[in-house]
Amino acid sequence: MSKILTGNELLSGAAVYLDGHGRWIEELQSARVFGADEGGALEAAVGASKATGRIVSVETEDVEMRGGAIYPLRVRERIRAEGPSAPRVGRQHLAEDEHVSI
Amino acid sequence: MYRYDEFDAAFVSERVQQFSDQVRRRIAGELTEDQFRPLRLMNGLYLQLHAYMLRIAIPYGTLAARQLRMLAHVARTYDRGYGHFTTRQNMQFHWPKLRDVPAILADLASVEMHSIQTSGNCVRNVTVDQFAGAAADEIIDPRPVAEIIRQWSSLHPEFIYLPRKFKIAMTGAPNDRAAVKFHDIGLMAQTNGSGEVGWAVYVGGGLGRTPMVAKLINGFVPHEHLLAYLEAILRVYNRYGRRDNKFKARIKILVHEEGLENIKGQVEEEFAQMRGGILTLPEEELERINAYFALPAYEDHGVVNIDIGREKILDPAYGRFLENNTFPHARQGYTSITVSLKPIGGVPGDITADQMDAVAELAEAYSFSEIRVTHEQNVVLPHVALTDLRAVYDGLVEAGLADGNVGEITDMITCPGLDYCALANARSIPIAQDIAHRFAAPERSREIGKLKIKISGCINACGHHHVGHIGILGVEKKGTELYQITVGGDGTEDAAVGRILGPGFVAADVPDAIEKLVDAYIEKRESPDETFIAAYRRLGDAPFKEALYGNG
Ligand code: SF4
Repeated sequence: MSKILTGNELLSGAAVYLDGHGRWIEELQSARVFGADEGGALEAAVGASKATGRIVSVETEDVEMRGGAIYPLRVRERIRAEGPSAPRVGRQHLAEDEHVSI
Repeated sequence: MYRYDEFDAAFVSERVQQFSDQVRRRIAGELTEDQFRPLRLMNGLYLQLHAYMLRIAIPYGTLAARQLRMLAHVARTYDRGYGHFTTRQNMQFHWPKLRDVPAILADLASVEMHSIQTSGNCVRNVTVDQFAGAAADEIIDPRPVAEIIRQWSSLHPEFIYLPRKFKIAMTGAPNDRAAVKFHDIGLMAQTNGSGEVGWAVYVGGGLGRTPMVAKLINGFVPHEHLLAYLEAILRVYNRYGRRDNKFKARIKILVHEEGLENIKGQVEEEFAQMRGGILTLPEEELERINAYFALPAYEDHGVVNIDIGREKILDPAYGRFLENNTFPHARQGYTSITVSLKPIGGVPGDITADQMDAVAELAEAYSFSEIRVTHEQNVVLPHVALTDLRAVYDGLVEAGLADGNVGEITDMITCPGLDYCALANARSIPIAQDIAHRFAAPERSREIGKLKIKISGCINACGHHHVGHIGILGVEKKGTELYQITVGGDGTEDAAVGRILGPGFVAADVPDAIEKLVDAYIEKRESPDETFIAAYRRLGDAPFKEALYGNG
């Protein structure tokens, strides 16, 4: 099963995803997808993220690729990626000093 | 209205300073998240799906206009311009940033508000009947005693680490509007044979995974011994509550497993030792607190009733508002107005900063600066003179708050669900919106009459679905949201837990399912005066089951 790494940034609380450059970003579609054979890399990324002290509730989430897009299997994760649905009020955004990298 | 004494003020401001420092140290990396998490929770700061959430206690649901104005200020300055009222008479802000939280708490402290004990395994905010101190059917205003319980339970050294959270609800009226039988302890005012007022004590009620109706543990505890009696219950619970299993740790399980008689025996034993001791309420102290809840300076305006029938002809929307949103007041010539936070298609319980200011202004002009918050996610102007009704209504129209749907099918309790809540399995808000749109026509909801729909996004049941006449519970099945429907729940003195009649529905099919239940009720009721819940009691599951699933 493919996985992504997600969490909430400490200062804003915003939902964020780890991308391929080691940056924690807002956009689910730019997240790094770890293949089933990348368990070691995933574990290392979890460790490095926790070590920043700036990403809270670090979790791995199961995803599939659907039509070239990342599709989280849990409804919860899909809503997290888009923000409240009724009405759509938009996600929490990272301010200038709220960007974190590992 | 009660105001903090210096002790409270000093304590709350000290707590704000401590938390400021804790936030600073967390941001500087001196505290880990594991160290910080319990500290932020102690100050009502949760992490939800999209952001932090700050939960603010509104003790016994009573707010002064200046406090509501401060909530408006917080919403505007630090959040996104709105707040959300919950079933626990709290307000939640869904978008605060961590750095701002100490400033928010300092602002709140300036109007005697805080977030202490809105989380954790302690005694939470005491909730009461929203019409306390105003209702015509009331034996006694429960708020002075609620205030005493608040003081007693705040940082009570013995009870800050209970097996699980602990919720107390109270009503001073025989008609229970505070769902007291679904709390860990429920208190109902009683008069004994000699005309003295005391409290019937119910224990072990609750919703969640294992819904239970509380059991009467003592039919009459006099005022002055109430704290000792509560302490005795808490003590027995603290000693024997199941700390080994989170799902079995609430007092309802203890009462259920050990049996009421056994628990009662132990409580009475503890009580016998404490009775007459230091927890006895001194008369002067009760008087002192009572004085804060003195009746407002009512006046005679010469109008003692309104002709709703006439108003309905002249202005149907106003007539409907009068019919549904007013509540009989103890004082002739006055009424309590419920301000509906359930506009068709809105988010139940949400209120914008501008609306908070508008309600505060109306309270200042027409309700002795008092506001109440209901567990059904509406707000109340408790003391409005009949001569001011039209002015209040016009003010509410201007603020977009004049929906006349209180108590009707579109006045639903709805938890934040999967749109916000980290524990949720499914969304609640869009379900409520779809149902509201379906039943939007005033004639239709009028035809249906009083009907309570309650929606939760997970089994924790913050949306009280178990006690909805129609309850809706969201679950997740194989990556989609599914909704279980229950029928027959009741949160009043006739407490009952709703029953599941069959398999769940996907979101798109929920409004149809509700409509089928409603149609079955209308077809089978004896007369328009027989409410949905009364008809259900008479008819049982069968016609409703058939309506939903056919007779297969
Ligand atoms: S019932 Fe569940 S989903 Fe709804 S607010 Fe409570 S914990 Fe969250």
